[in-house]
Amino acid sequence: MDNPAVPPALAERVNTFVEWLFDGYKSNVPKRPKVFNDALLGNLLFACHEVAVIDCPVMQRLRRIKQTGLVYYVFPSATHTRFEHSLGVGTLAERCFNAIRDRADVESTSPVGDPDRTKGDLAHLRMAALLHDVGHGLCSHASEQIYELLSDLREFKKDPAFVKNNPGEILSYLIVTSKKFREWFDDAVVRGCQARLSLDTISKLILGKHDEPDKWFLANIISSAYDADKLDYIARDSYYCGLALTVDLPRFMSMISIAKYKDGRVLVLRNYVPLEQILFSKMTLTGSVYQHQKVKCLDSMLRSMVGHIYENPMQAAVPVRGKTISFADPVEYLYTTDDEFFWQPNGFGDDYTRKMLNRFRHRDLFVRCLVISRRTVDNWDEGRLRLIDLNQDTYKLAKVEEEIHKCLPSTAKAHCSKHDIRLSVPGTPRIKTDDARIQTSKDAEVENIEEYFPLEQWTDAYAHNKWRSFVYAPREIAAAVRDAAMPVLKEYTGLKLDASKSNQTCHL
Amino acid sequence: MATTQQALLPDHVLGAVLALAEKQNEVTNQGCDRLAFRSHDFQLQEIFHDLRETGKYPILDSFVFSDSGPVPYSPALNESVSRLQLSGLIGRENPDYEVIFVRSAANRFFDDVLKKNLDPTEINQLEKVASEFLTRVKTV
Repeated sequence: MDNPAVPPALAERVNTFVEWLFDGYKSNVPKRPKVFNDALLGNLLFACHEVAVIDCPVMQRLRRIKQTGLVYYVFPSATHTRFEHSLGVGTLAERCFNAIRDRADVESTSPVGDPDRTKGDLAHLRMAALLHDVGHGLCSHASEQIYELLSDLREFKKDPAFVKNNPGEILSYLIVTSKKFREWFDDAVVRGCQARLSLDTISKLILGKHDEPDKWFLANIISSAYDADKLDYIARDSYYCGLALTVDLPRFMSMISIAKYKDGRVLVLRNYVPLEQILFSKMTLTGSVYQHQKVKCLDSMLRSMVGHIYENPMQAAVPVRGKTISFADPVEYLYTTDDEFFWQPNGFGDDYTRKMLNRFRHRDLFVRCLVISRRTVDNWDEGRLRLIDLNQDTYKLAKVEEEIHKCLPSTAKAHCSKHDIRLSVPGTPRIKTDDARIQTSKDAEVENIEEYFPLEQWTDAYAHNKWRSFVYAPREIAAAVRDAAMPVLKEYTGLKLDASKSNQTCHL
Repeated sequence: MATTQQALLPDHVLGAVLALAEKQNEVTNQGCDRLAFRSHDFQLQEIFHDLRETGKYPILDSFVFSDSGPVPYSPALNESVSRLQLSGLIGRENPDYEVIFVRSAANRFFDDVLKKNLDPTEINQLEKVASEFLTRVKTV
């Protein structure tokens, strides 16, 4: 299988970004392996060639991107970064690999992968895990939700080679396969550290693929319902948010194995209990953290800023090391990190961006004007698909927001921009189920997890009860926005909101 | 920040197929005004993949299936099922959640909203897909 085809213009822009990142960087061949002390997983050991990659600008940049975006405004200790998460995923990927080998030894099944740490399957797996998040940009998933609908990336959703991947994974893939990164990697890692690694294999693993069906399980360790990424972020995000959630990692490791399936070998669970834990923890995190109303408010405020900068590039663009960023294409979200965007000493841009930056600095956030949920809508069973569709249709979402702005009384309109009216319609929480499989014993049939445990239905039942949308605006115009939004939402979605029920939550 | 306007969303395609399948089922099995069938997500994936592979229904192109791994998989289809469920257009029955049923809201949504945005060729395709779909699921 060749590398998937990528629109050349996008690949070229990513390469330009990587050249910009490496500008002025001189890599040294690490003299010895390194141990990193991680608050969650303890001492993590990395070989010389991995240290070379960890030290390079593509990885170091992740130190300046928070793992959970703007969540730390709500959960103050959630300041952990994509960098430490990547180190954790590299380590957990190896633990999965070793657990599978241990089980294969015990069950006397065929050998599992090459454990050589400089050229074997394990080396490729660890490197893919380390690099899997290098495509994250400003505020991680918060900006991903904004840029994923820009034209270049939208094309990927029509391509069978990329359809299962989220935008961050696609950008990670493009960075790792860029001309500049390949040149650096060949020089510093392959020749400098004598690590015989294939970037083609690594980049495909990042997408959750492997050319050899016999090694599909390696791709499953990087991307599946119970991949190393999930094992790390569930444990790490809950730890740093102060939530007492758990994924029993030793138990999980003792329950994974590989099995022959459709001409290949895939990752399987011997028992679905570890997956239950992952699911419950993910659902709790989704409700308590990722879709916390204030977190969605912060995400919306980021969208306000980005939208304003995009529409006013001459006045509002972000200066970053010789570049001016106006968020006009997905790659521009990579140039600026959280630190560079929010904490430039003198701010940047025009009055609106400075005002918004001050809002973030002083935590002067927008407030809820309306809650849209089954508890606040009188005709919830009628036409709410039109509301949910707005999550996929940002064109229409922007129209609704603009319409609310237009309907404001002139006194309120004078005090706000159209970007100050935000309608937040979250997606539904998902767990990838296509590769979640059970094999209860080594000779048993491989079955889909849903035969045992209604995975999808747990997430859907959760969404049914917890899913809410919000209208946000600055506090001083909140009541006016609420009054303007109700008829607009009725016109666009058919939903009849009960203002008194919504007010009980919004405290207007 | 506005982007380009979306064409027919995958949710709409799936919603229309299920609404039309219910109408056809009602005609075929007189007196049966509710369509319910057994299907886990992976079985729906197989059905829609097979229908799309026939090449006869361009309207199913919004369900793009991956070309890697042991089985083809369309995230858009998976998400559409969830969205329709969250929207109250379809439901699942306890205790095993294997039975999907189409709610009357799906028909109303099709008649009142979707139909207005579909041309006769698209409706014709959707009717044929619905008909084939019915032959591939086990109704209950």
